[in-house]
Amino acid sequence: METKNADKMVKSFFAEYKQEIPDNGFTQRLMKKVPEQADHGWIVWIFAAIGISVSLYVGVNAGLIRQVVLLFDRIPLYYMLAGIFCFPIIGTMIYYAAQNKKYQII
Amino acid sequence: MSNTDDIRWITQLILLGDKNAFDKLVRKYQSPIRRFFLNLTVGDSQLSDDLAQETFIKAYLNISSFKGISGFSTWLYRIAYNVYYDSVRARKYYADIDEHVIDNQHQTQNEFSAEKLDIYKALNQLRKEEQTAVLLFYMEDKTHKEIAKIMNCPLGTVKTYILKGKERLGVYLTKQGYGN
Repeated sequence: METKNADKMVKSFFAEYKQEIPDNGFTQRLMKKVPEQADHGWIVWIFAAIGISVSLYVGVNAGLIRQVVLLFDRIPLYYMLAGIFCFPIIGTMIYYAAQNKKYQII
Repeated sequence: MSNTDDIRWITQLILLGDKNAFDKLVRKYQSPIRRFFLNLTVGDSQLSDDLAQETFIKAYLNISSFKGISGFSTWLYRIAYNVYYDSVRARKYYADIDEHVIDNQHQTQNEFSAEKLDIYKALNQLRKEEQTAVLLFYMEDKTHKEIAKIMNCPLGTVKTYILKGKERLGVYLTKQGYGN
C-alpha cells in the first residue's frame, strides 16, 4: 500500500474517533486526593524583604531618599493632594480588573 | 489557553503551593490524558481514569523537577507513558500474555467504548510501542521529536514505529473496507 494513501486513511480514521472527554467530576475527585504541600509563601516574603532592604540601603547611601523628601517639599500642596487622592481610585480599578474581568475597567 | 497560562500556573504551584493553579492544569489536560489512556487500555474507562489520576498526582508531587525545556504537555505525557508501562508490567499482561483475552477481561463497557470498538480493534493490530507512537502522532498531534522525548527513544525509532504502525493500520483498514 502506498505510504501516502495509508497516511491519509489513518489520519482520517483517527480524526473520526478523536473526541473530547468531558470532565464529569474527574478533576474534583482528583483534587481531593492531591496531598497538601507546605506553604511556600514565605519565599515571596523573603525575596520582598531582601528587595526592600537593598533598595533602602542603596537609597539611603546614594542620598536618593533625601532627594525624594526634598522633592516633596517643593511640590505644591494641591498637586500632592490630587496625587494622594488618585491612589485609592487607581488601586480600586486595578483590584477589580485583576479580580474580575467582567468589570473591564482597564 | 496557551503555554503561557501553563507556565503561570506552574510558577504559582511551585512558588506558592497554589492548588487552584494545579486544578486549572488538570482541567486543561484531563481530556487528552484520559483519551490517551482510554485508547491504550482499549476502552477500559475505569483503568484509564485510575492511570490518569496517578499521572496527575505524580506530576503534582514532582512539579519542581519540571524544567520547562519541553512543554508541560510533553512532560505530562512522559509521566503518563511511564505510568502506563509500569501498570502493564505490574499487571503482567505484557508480551507473552495473550492481550486479546486480557483486553476482553478488562474492557469496561462505557459511554465511549461501545462506539469505539473499531478503533480498539484497529489498535490491537499494532505492537504496544507502535500503538503509543501512532496514538501520540495521529490522535494527540504530537511531533516526532516530542514523541521521542515522551517515549525516551531515538527519533529514528519513533519514525519507524509510526511508519510500521501506519502500514499495518492501512492494511487492516483497507481489509475492513474503510475509505471505500
